[in-house]
Amino acid sequence: MVNDSVPDAEVVARVLGGDGEAFGILIRRYEPGLLRFATRMLGNPDAAADAVAESLVRAYRHLAQCRDPGRLRSWLYRITGNRCRSHLARRRTSDISLSEAPPLADPSDAWAVVERGEQVALVERALSALPEEKREAFVLKHVEGMSYEEMAQVTGARIPTLKMRVHRAREALLAALQELV
Amino acid sequence: MMLDAGGGMSPIDPRLQEALDNERDPGDLPADQQDAYARLMTAATLLSAKPAVSVADRVMAEIRAMPQQLHTGNRWRRAARWLTRPLAVTLRLRPAWTLGLAAAGLAAILLLPGDENGPELPRASEGVAQFVGHFPGAQSVEVVGSFNNWSRGKLHLRDENHDGIWHGDAVLPAGQHEYMFVVDGERWVADPLAGRYVDDGFGVGRQNAVLIVRQASSEDTPQQ
Repeated sequence: MVNDSVPDAEVVARVLGGDGEAFGILIRRYEPGLLRFATRMLGNPDAAADAVAESLVRAYRHLAQCRDPGRLRSWLYRITGNRCRSHLARRRTSDISLSEAPPLADPSDAWAVVERGEQVALVERALSALPEEKREAFVLKHVEGMSYEEMAQVTGARIPTLKMRVHRAREALLAALQELV
Repeated sequence: MMLDAGGGMSPIDPRLQEALDNERDPGDLPADQQDAYARLMTAATLLSAKPAVSVADRVMAEIRAMPQQLHTGNRWRRAARWLTRPLAVTLRLRPAWTLGLAAAGLAAILLLPGDENGPELPRASEGVAQFVGHFPGAQSVEVVGSFNNWSRGKLHLRDENHDGIWHGDAVLPAGQHEYMFVVDGERWVADPLAGRYVDDGFGVGRQNAVLIVRQASSEDTPQQ
């Protein structure tokens, strides 16, 4: 078994060489971000978990098709993004319930829970009102902390297009988040 | 705030966009823009909480249930039986200009003596697929696809005449398969002669070639 500090490309080589358990390292490495990304895209943690699980299994099955294991993160986000788009295409936007997307963390302080929960709900409501492409761009940029170059690898969109989507998303969110302190 | 007179959103100051893109120190922004900057950063932070759930066990259980040969399994070779039994091979040719290329590849296969790289004998549910590609100057060409889990090193094409026409064949399960050529170990190329393609699911505009293999028992004819 390889340890968690091994580069992605080496872990991929181990998996392709027959060490299927090594794929668990890649799951531990990228699952939190993928789940967060999918949750923000779908607005539903259960649907997000399904999308990420399906994406990771698909990634495992097609791991040899990952043409640049050094960019595995982008590849995984691309698969997950495609899966999210498929989920969204199968249901109407109105089916997305903000109440289904509770805060992802569990602060210990009761007041903090209430206050943070309200703030998260406010932000999620504003985010879910964005068109899908702008929502994706904002989440990849500001939640997942990607560069525009990496976002281009994930989405297939050109960098100027992505910058415009992020800028428009910021404008829309600012307009909607006047109550956020 | 950024609402215009009509109640809609208005463009925000380019300096604020630059700060949000890490191209400007947010400390240099005017006070109202620093407030907007902080509001957006707070929103991003609220959305960045670590998920409380995990799908790791579920995914690993599904992976462990898969065949162990998914990435590494060796194909059951029956080359000897293949070499002792005549096998008719026909191609459904597409555009007329492909005739020469395909015929050259077919002739190379039929005229040259069989070798240890020849295909296996197809079973009832299998057929023979032939691959032909024109890659002048290439040092190696191989085929990866859904039939070998996109694994390299399993299906190499040959160019005995060094004329740039690479060919090879393989026994595959009857049905539809997706595939790509890998040229010189690094360049992935969709077969320009495939005639049928599907999106590969990993990016805009990226496509895999498609081949359809017929059961050898019905016609002994591969179709690509």
